[in-house]
Amino acid sequence: MADTTIDVRQAQFDDTEDIDRTEVRSYWQLARQRFVHHRLAVAGAITLVALIVLSLVVPAIAGDTLRVSASRSFAPPEIFNDEGDMTLAILGYSRTGYNIFGVLMAATGTSLMIGFAAVLIIVIIGVSVGSVAGFAGGWVDNVLMRVVDIALALPGLFIIIAFVAFWGASIWSIIIAIGITGWTLAARLVRAEFLSLREADYVQAARALGASPRRIIMRHMLPPAFAPIIVAASLGVADSVVLEAALSFLGFGISADQASLGTLLNVAFEYLNREPYLVLFPSIVLVLIVLAANFLGDGMRDALDPRQRVEER
Amino acid sequence: MTASARSGGPLLEIKGLKTHFFTQDGTVKAVDGVTFEIGHGQTLGVVGESGCGKSITSLSVMRLIERPGKIVAGEILLNGDDLLTASDEEVREIRGDQVSMIFQEPMTSLNPVFTCGEQISEAVQQHTSASSREGMDRAIEMLGVVGIPDAKRRAHEYPHQLSGGMRQRVMIAMALSTDPDLLIADEPTTALDVTIQAQILEVMRDLRQKNRMAIMLITHDLGVVAEMADEVVVMYSGKVVERGDVRTIFGNPHHPYTKGLLSSIPRLDERVERLEVIKGTVPSPYNLPTGCLFKRRCPYRMPICDVAPPYQVVGEEHASRCWLTPAGEAPDVGADASGEEAERAGELLTVEPR
Amino acid sequence: MTDQTTIAPATEEAGTQTSGGQTSAQRTAARGGVEGAPLLEVSDLVKHFDIRGGLLGVSKLGAVRAVDGVSFTVKEGETLGLVGESGCGKTTLGKVILRLIPPTSGTVTFEGKPLFDLNARQLKAARRDIQVVFQDPYASLNPRMSVGEIVGEGLFVHGMSNKHERESAVRELLKRVGLNQQHIHRYPHEFSGGQRQRIGIARALALRPKFIVCDEPVSALDVSIQSQVLNLLSDLQDEFELTYLFIAHNLAVVRHLSSRVGVMYLGKLVELADADQLYQNPKHPYTKALLSAIPIPDPTVRRERIVLKGDLPSPANPPSGCRFHTRCPMAQEICKTDEPPLRDVGGGHMSACHFAEDVTPLQARRSA
Repeated sequence: MADTTIDVRQAQFDDTEDIDRTEVRSYWQLARQRFVHHRLAVAGAITLVALIVLSLVVPAIAGDTLRVSASRSFAPPEIFNDEGDMTLAILGYSRTGYNIFGVLMAATGTSLMIGFAAVLIIVIIGVSVGSVAGFAGGWVDNVLMRVVDIALALPGLFIIIAFVAFWGASIWSIIIAIGITGWTLAARLVRAEFLSLREADYVQAARALGASPRRIIMRHMLPPAFAPIIVAASLGVADSVVLEAALSFLGFGISADQASLGTLLNVAFEYLNREPYLVLFPSIVLVLIVLAANFLGDGMRDALDPRQRVEER
Repeated sequence: MTASARSGGPLLEIKGLKTHFFTQDGTVKAVDGVTFEIGHGQTLGVVGESGCGKSITSLSVMRLIERPGKIVAGEILLNGDDLLTASDEEVREIRGDQVSMIFQEPMTSLNPVFTCGEQISEAVQQHTSASSREGMDRAIEMLGVVGIPDAKRRAHEYPHQLSGGMRQRVMIAMALSTDPDLLIADEPTTALDVTIQAQILEVMRDLRQKNRMAIMLITHDLGVVAEMADEVVVMYSGKVVERGDVRTIFGNPHHPYTKGLLSSIPRLDERVERLEVIKGTVPSPYNLPTGCLFKRRCPYRMPICDVAPPYQVVGEEHASRCWLTPAGEAPDVGADASGEEAERAGELLTVEPR
Repeated sequence: MTDQTTIAPATEEAGTQTSGGQTSAQRTAARGGVEGAPLLEVSDLVKHFDIRGGLLGVSKLGAVRAVDGVSFTVKEGETLGLVGESGCGKTTLGKVILRLIPPTSGTVTFEGKPLFDLNARQLKAARRDIQVVFQDPYASLNPRMSVGEIVGEGLFVHGMSNKHERESAVRELLKRVGLNQQHIHRYPHEFSGGQRQRIGIARALALRPKFIVCDEPVSALDVSIQSQVLNLLSDLQDEFELTYLFIAHNLAVVRHLSSRVGVMYLGKLVELADADQLYQNPKHPYTKALLSAIPIPDPTVRRERIVLKGDLPSPANPPSGCRFHTRCPMAQEICKTDEPPLRDVGGGHMSACHFAEDVTPLQARRSA
């Protein structure tokens, strides 16, 4: 009865065998495939992961050698010390006797943590503001965008400096300061994505099916909006790390007794005449972080939002 | 008058054209052995659906194919000169001068930062010794010829100030300003409303008559072909599957694809209860069938269709790429023939150059 | 709540492959429905889009009068075709009826209930009866969802929380639109345009609606695929007892499916009649020009050619009086000042023209 109709109907179309030839691949699986193709992006991802791992592992292993000690002044590079303990002092020791590599990795860890944490705050505020503005439209959008305009008009750098001066030069005050001054780009990106998605046919279809606004946002609008967010976030990490380094270098960031790439540069600058190489190492790490984050961001963007380009063999 | 016109030869001859795209996922044979010609002052309709290769054919004629595409074989003779062996310099001179092209989307074909008059004038100055003032005069003249009212004022306007129909007229004016022998129109009215389409087609009819201009009209709209073309070429998956005079193609089509296409479109003047259907879908270029490319969808399929069918003559000035005889029956060599026997029979029947 | 798992065909009629030579009225009667019972009534519907500018973007500079007072009724079981060119408002009209865009004024009544007065809960329930098929097969499916999730979303939203129930319902729907139900876990990018459109149709059918707005459902498809989808829509109409509002710009396509057709121009309905009547005996000069402009795929037919002069005026600034007067070959003085109402010019054939009676049918003849 119904089955013969369906068989006849399917025969009329008879066009789905091509599909069986390929494996089932979801959008995210395809994105991952595209990402993996992008060699620089993969290199960037590996570099960042390596830095994170090193920043956690090396200071733990180096242990005591992170502190100054006159007896180790200018000691040569080593992996194990005389007692046979692992120190990983592969860059040797400074004039004041601390494990250069160990301190470098500890500083990297601090800088990366500040970078990621600040970006997290940026994403939370930015996505909230942007999605509400983009979804609601009308006067809500207008008001929120004026708030963004005001936030942009205020001089971010000075606000951060003032914030840190007021709340003390701790890691958390820097994180929060960078976070609350840097969310405007993310908000605009999300808003733009939401505004265009509101008109997308599949969003309209979901509304026509009776889906609640919450479901529409969570299921249909946020996932595509994440593409620009992830890209902005990876670039944002680089920005935040450099910002912290600059502030700490100038003495406006975290205090010099805590190791971050910026404070290392601050100290190294003072000793430029006697130990010029001390400037080199934090700078190299900073460059690595920025390059890696940029390549990663590029790769993410191409993976999540590909332009249909026919790749040449 | 050109040499070929004097001798009575065709204006444009395309012989065995093959344009392939070399991609990561495989080679796409977008145009795979296409042969046809256009006579002086004649309008040839090139019909087909997406993926048939009609646009790529026209871009190949204009030598506008870019990587990863490449013209890998064939000849394109314009007035007897092979465009494919000509130097870049020579091709640039020919483009816009002897052969002009108009595209589907007038908004993206016109440069938004120049006025319409400037763009037409540029084309004129490129190919003649005209000065910029003379070029502008010619531009205003052409805008009038294509029926744009108040041409002098319009010439100083920018594309975004004009409607879609107007922009398409500007494109036609630009294409015709150098008095080309051949106009290639790639879906010129598809993006336009139907009443505007009627206006544009009327302009084209007027101009081809006045200038004795040949037109290669590429479209998927059979109605437009019926109204405008003298001869028709039907393309499918990169090959020509049928060619003939417009009345023959519409009144007595031979190839099952052409037949299927004609009977599946809803007609304004007739009403049927149920439309005929061509089952299945266009094959993926990465997964083409062996033998006849249409066989999976063909209601007349025979075992011999696993061997590539000959491009045979089925009537006066009428050819079709199919195993069926002109009368529509199984071929003499037998519907079950295969392998060498079938190939030999095919070679005897085919009129296409290898 | 009705049982969603078995989508059994409505009557024995569904067992037959074709609809034979029956008219839409006969088919509806065979189903036990009453054709003629109004299902959807649109009354004086207006939709203006404000053009804003000035400081802070608040001042209203003008309005795009996309739909400017349209009234019609769609009867149960019929297909009402709606045609027109760019800027005529047909797509906007469809979206307002679906309550995807808020109206400016006017009413739409569905089964006697005024759609614009419904609260959120009532609206959600009403949405089960009114569904939509969109034009663009590439934009109408969420690329991040599998086919099963897309087609089953409606079921989920309306309470079918059991995953297995949904899956079997979806499989059934996929079969009914001619797709291989084993592809339920695949993603839209693997399918062709025609197949995606069928997925969209399956999605629309999931909630067993009574009324479907088809917004240019075949315009983006290849010619040889269009007939497949049109036949499918026709078959499904019988199987599921559907009523269609079929919006398109291709008059030949509209004619094929519709029992009645309305022609829109610049936000107004200018003619509304039985499909055959409209095509053979148009009573509005715009309709006649439209019919004449469409190329017929038959080189032997020679028709009266009416080429309109000028461009389509902007809906933000429509002409005074009869909106068509600037391009109308029959325009007189009165047309510039008095807007003609949509009136009955004989046998239910409605036309908005002062001189409707003078419009002659399009001449056509076959040459050898």
